[in-house]
Amino acid sequence: MPCWICSQMMKSYIWLQTADGSIQQVEQEVAMFCPMICHEVIQKGMGSSKNYAISLPQRVNPAMLSLILDYCRFHQVPGRSNKERKSFDEKFIRMDTKRLCELTSAADSLQLKPLVDLTSRALARIIEGKSPEEIREIFHLPDDLTEEEKLEPLKNTTDDPRIRLLNRLYAKKRKELKERQKLKNIEVEEERVDDRSVDDLLSFINGDNGDSKGIKNSKSKKKNRRRKDQQKNASANEAIKNHNKEPNGLNQVCHSAEVGQKVRPGVGATSNLHDVEDDIFDNKNELDDVDIDDEIDPALKEKIDSILYSFYAMLEEVCIYSPNDLSFYLLFREVEDFARRLNSDWPERMQEILSFGHERKPVHFSLNGNGSLRRYASMLLSFFYY
Amino acid sequence: MRTDITNILPEECISYILSLTSPTDVCRSKLVSPVFRSAADSDTIWGKFLPSDCYDIISNASSSSSSKLLTSSMSKTQLYFHLCKNPIIIDNGTMSFGLDKATGKKCYMLGARRLSIAWANTPRYWRWKRVPESRFSEVAELKEVWWLDVKGTIETKILSPNTTYVAYLVYKFSSSRYGFEKKPVDLHVELGESDAGRTFRIFLDPSANIPQFSREREDGWMEVKLGEFFNEHGDDGKATCSLREVDNYTLKKGLIIEGIDIRPKDSR
Repeated sequence: MPCWICSQMMKSYIWLQTADGSIQQVEQEVAMFCPMICHEVIQKGMGSSKNYAISLPQRVNPAMLSLILDYCRFHQVPGRSNKERKSFDEKFIRMDTKRLCELTSAADSLQLKPLVDLTSRALARIIEGKSPEEIREIFHLPDDLTEEEKLEPLKNTTDDPRIRLLNRLYAKKRKELKERQKLKNIEVEEERVDDRSVDDLLSFINGDNGDSKGIKNSKSKKKNRRRKDQQKNASANEAIKNHNKEPNGLNQVCHSAEVGQKVRPGVGATSNLHDVEDDIFDNKNELDDVDIDDEIDPALKEKIDSILYSFYAMLEEVCIYSPNDLSFYLLFREVEDFARRLNSDWPERMQEILSFGHERKPVHFSLNGNGSLRRYASMLLSFFYY
Repeated sequence: MRTDITNILPEECISYILSLTSPTDVCRSKLVSPVFRSAADSDTIWGKFLPSDCYDIISNASSSSSSKLLTSSMSKTQLYFHLCKNPIIIDNGTMSFGLDKATGKKCYMLGARRLSIAWANTPRYWRWKRVPESRFSEVAELKEVWWLDVKGTIETKILSPNTTYVAYLVYKFSSSRYGFEKKPVDLHVELGESDAGRTFRIFLDPSANIPQFSREREDGWMEVKLGEFFNEHGDDGKATCSLREVDNYTLKKGLIIEGIDIRPKDSR
């Protein structure tokens, strides 16, 4: 038979080469479904033989190519109904997140928009409603906070309390990084014990009712913790009462929460930021020694949560102040870290709150010490996550 | 070995994926990692979240307002956040337009001049004045009246589709307030011609043991919910929102009205 009849009766193939060097031939109508391949064939005349195989972008490895071709093979058939196509798509994207990402990347490099849309939507659904921590876990992203080098103090010519807070945070972070460096080189366990004051040692030996100096001074050891917690509760309850009496500062924040408003940095609030800042940093120090698996007394939890809450409200202010700043990112991570160390089930609660926070039902509550964490946290999150 | 996703997906792809979520999710994702942070700042995303007629609305802004100049030079990302925090004045200074940060939906405030307030042009009963804390050039101050009837309407076609909107009266009391603790007011919202709407009766200035329905806003004004309505496609005509106390027996004084704020439900 003459050659031209042969070629008309034979199926046409396009030759493709992936970055690893392997070459394969693919039915023409399937391969041409990809705009990038189409372009190579038509504009550059490539792909007609093994020697002129089209070099695919690096992001398309053989496994991805195979998936993409499956997709093309199905969709390039003109007669399919929308229902059929949808059904195929739904089954097609059932794969693990990593593959979904690889596939998105590969499809993107081949300019196959319908597939990019399909996989992107699937990934969007995975991301929706999740906390940053969860997203980091899903995508195996490293906790890169320690890599942040830019912890230079900001200039604070107006003595803005928010900048002051930020700089304190940076100082802490720098200190922490330095300590982490030290830890890598020396044994620390001994150091810690030696750090305890004489008072602490005495109280440990005597097994008495803990320190009477209140929250700011405690460095608790495990055995004394129960007693100290009781002491803390007493002083925490005191503190809660006192906070409630204050017309400004923390109370204003919480009162505003009661009626669902945002904190305004008015004069009253500013003058009490000192207290809030101190509370945050001192509580944090104290809790460094607390074993996170131990039960924390509800009253103390309340106080910490109310502090966290006001801290988040301030975070909101910082966010508006400099929404794209590294500072915001750091602050949030700091608070997340703090919250996590306070309470080992915080991530679960965040998830709970997030799913209930979606409806954002109006929250009304009174600050009488009986408020549940859930309500605080939902206010917290609804304030913060915007 | 766990591979970092950001080595697999280029930033533009991450931006595209984020644009398929919600403004809230995108803000949150800024806190995931530096790559996400950078991807979240893309104009592709925020341009998508801006209402489609956003630029038309802005071009309609009062020419005297400096916001017009400002907004024309902004990127889509900047514009989105700007409109969330700084509503622009449109329609000859009678209305303001902004966005709800969490959803990108449109928010409007009808200024006092745009409302139908009975007796508002009679100086004995109402006074119009300029106050610095208002976004509008004038607010209405009640000197005294027996018949209090404040009404505002908005065309549903300018609102975002498939959204439940809530209307609030934005007001303050002056030192001479009177009558609002004695007599409750009727709050009402109805949609279009056929909807009868719902009426709530509350005390605007309740005494000690009576529930307070008003709350303080960020901008220092008070607001009270007049009611809500669902806007599907914008073809329901007008939504009418009102506050009335028309028993004609109780003298009322000292109410200062900035306007009626209409925004999506559950936004701040």
